[in-house]
Amino acid sequence: MKARLPVSSWEVTLVVAIVAAGCWSATLSPYYLSLDQILDSTRQFIIPGLLAIGLAIVVITGEIDISVASTLAVGAVLLSKFSAFGVPVWLAVPPVLVVCALLGTLNGLLVAGLGLPSLAVTLGTMGAFRGLAFIIGSEVGYTDFDDSYLYTGSDYVWGIVPVALLLFVAVALAIGFLLHRTVFGRRCFAVGNNKDAAWIAGIDVTRLKTIAYMLAGVLAGLAALVWIGQYGSARGDNADGLILFVVTAVVLAGVDINGGKGTVLGIVLALLLLGTLRNGMGLANIAGPTQTLVFGALLVAGVLRPLALRVLAEARNFVRPASSGAGKAGS
Amino acid sequence: MTAPDPALVPGRAPPRRNLGRLALRLRVSGVVLFLVILGIAFSILTPHFASLQNIGVIASNASILAIVAAAQAIVLLTRNLDVSVGSIMGLTAYLSADYAAHHPDVGVLLVVIALAIGAGLGAVNGLIVAYGRVSPLIATLGTMSLYRGATYVYAHGQEITSSRLPRWVLQTVDLRIGGLPLLVLVCGAVVVAAALFLRLFPFGRRIYAVGSNPLASVFYGLRTERVVLFAYTLAGLMCGFAGLLYAARVGTVTVVLASGWELTSLAGAVLGGVSVAGGSGSLIGAALGAVVLATIDNGLVLLAIPEFWRMFIQGTAIVLAVTADVLINSQIRRSLKGQRFGGKLA
Repeated sequence: MKARLPVSSWEVTLVVAIVAAGCWSATLSPYYLSLDQILDSTRQFIIPGLLAIGLAIVVITGEIDISVASTLAVGAVLLSKFSAFGVPVWLAVPPVLVVCALLGTLNGLLVAGLGLPSLAVTLGTMGAFRGLAFIIGSEVGYTDFDDSYLYTGSDYVWGIVPVALLLFVAVALAIGFLLHRTVFGRRCFAVGNNKDAAWIAGIDVTRLKTIAYMLAGVLAGLAALVWIGQYGSARGDNADGLILFVVTAVVLAGVDINGGKGTVLGIVLALLLLGTLRNGMGLANIAGPTQTLVFGALLVAGVLRPLALRVLAEARNFVRPASSGAGKAGS
Repeated sequence: MTAPDPALVPGRAPPRRNLGRLALRLRVSGVVLFLVILGIAFSILTPHFASLQNIGVIASNASILAIVAAAQAIVLLTRNLDVSVGSIMGLTAYLSADYAAHHPDVGVLLVVIALAIGAGLGAVNGLIVAYGRVSPLIATLGTMSLYRGATYVYAHGQEITSSRLPRWVLQTVDLRIGGLPLLVLVCGAVVVAAALFLRLFPFGRRIYAVGSNPLASVFYGLRTERVVLFAYTLAGLMCGFAGLLYAARVGTVTVVLASGWELTSLAGAVLGGVSVAGGSGSLIGAALGAVVLATIDNGLVLLAIPEFWRMFIQGTAIVLAVTADVLINSQIRRSLKGQRFGGKLA
């Protein structure tokens, strides 16, 4: 009965919402509808976007990771250390990504290897990694970055397209391919849907989940690189509190928080919606706190969507009580 | 307590069972042990730590968090979670302080107002989670920003300074009874009352039942939705009370009051041996977990250790506590009779 609505219906809804939010923004300011303004505004959600895609991989396998923002902070302060030693950026990024991957792997080993509850574990590592970021970077922010470090987060290709946007598109395509077109991706969904069945089918659940956490760590490392370019600074408290926005994006994307369902396209659309709304609310001079209220309301509306669908389905059944649902298998 | 067991469990080797029993008790005594070790270590490392005055400071710092950790524990016991506790505290504190500022002669009614607001906000969480069948993390994440946003909108960026609060509100929290701060006594009483309620009343037992096996509770005939709704409402009520106490203690109510407490309360409950998988743990343990957090904070400050080491240590302590919890759980499961499928159900 649930399968009656095609999977993409939520994505269509998101597109409609984005267009509506865009139109609303356009009525507020004549300058809104210009290509460079819109392209530039996408920079607002690239950092949470990279984190959200990483988190989504973990969520699809049926776990959660609230430590990704802290991993970003570790990556950012590590990059600042490399910059301080005069290491060129292309040499600095790989080891930083490896460290971030290791932090993710640690989460994965604790959760999948030891069978600990992921929320509690990543709550712990969220604090531990944040502490680590402060221990490495000390309390003083580092702002004296070499220009090459800022390129990814702040520069433009052809003078108009942010480099970070290209990076984000590349990551979204790569992870989208990985999740929706490869055996690994299918296994992620299988594990998220039914861990035991997946295990019986011969999938190494522990390894798969560990890889998912590792990928989330790597994406947090990439987000750290973008962060440095956008803000020109690295400090232990970077991205503190960002995780809530990230989880909101993942949920709005239609990713099932219990695992096994979700698309990268949905995440990109959810981010576009949140970004467009934020842009529009900025134009309309709506204060940041009120924006918080709107995002909270959106999240609650997003989570109550399944309930609304269920009520709708029940109402439909009430009207046609005899319908057995046969012959609908092909949706 | 020990005598009739062999008859009930034929063919089970007793040592294992005893180990499980021991572990079951270790749940709370583990926190106490940890606290004692911490206390001894800090007393050796810094002379100021063991002074009566400093212990009073720790108790005061821990007391309000203890209520919130216990509230969090009630929700955790039902196999749910509430990350909106800080926002409930903030909104309740702001609304009740604002009311007190305009009606200085409300008296004890102020407590009733705070409790009602807190319970109402908690009930909204409960309705969404229990009847809306929404993942508790997501639902309360939404209400967390919703309640905080509502506080911002209502406050219009204004904070309520202590000069606007009626004098008696501020004086009452600072009272001491027989040398002990009233705040600590009240908070202790609240936690103990809530813990006794869960232990002695059928409704309290139902909270444990729903958390340890939701499906079995349904078969048994429990209306699990009601139990979950009740747990959230009770938690909200306690957070409302905590918010009022916090406002009275700091005197100045800002819109960001108690933000971040959702994670600290979770940390306290987890450190106190409350299982995030539901059904096991005690409110006293959660409150003691809050005391552990306050003790670590205090000790590290006295030792002049930078704040970020505190985060690192707290985070590591949470991971260790969760690991210990899972190990203890598997030991208990192995030791209980007829639990061959325990791993699947729990």
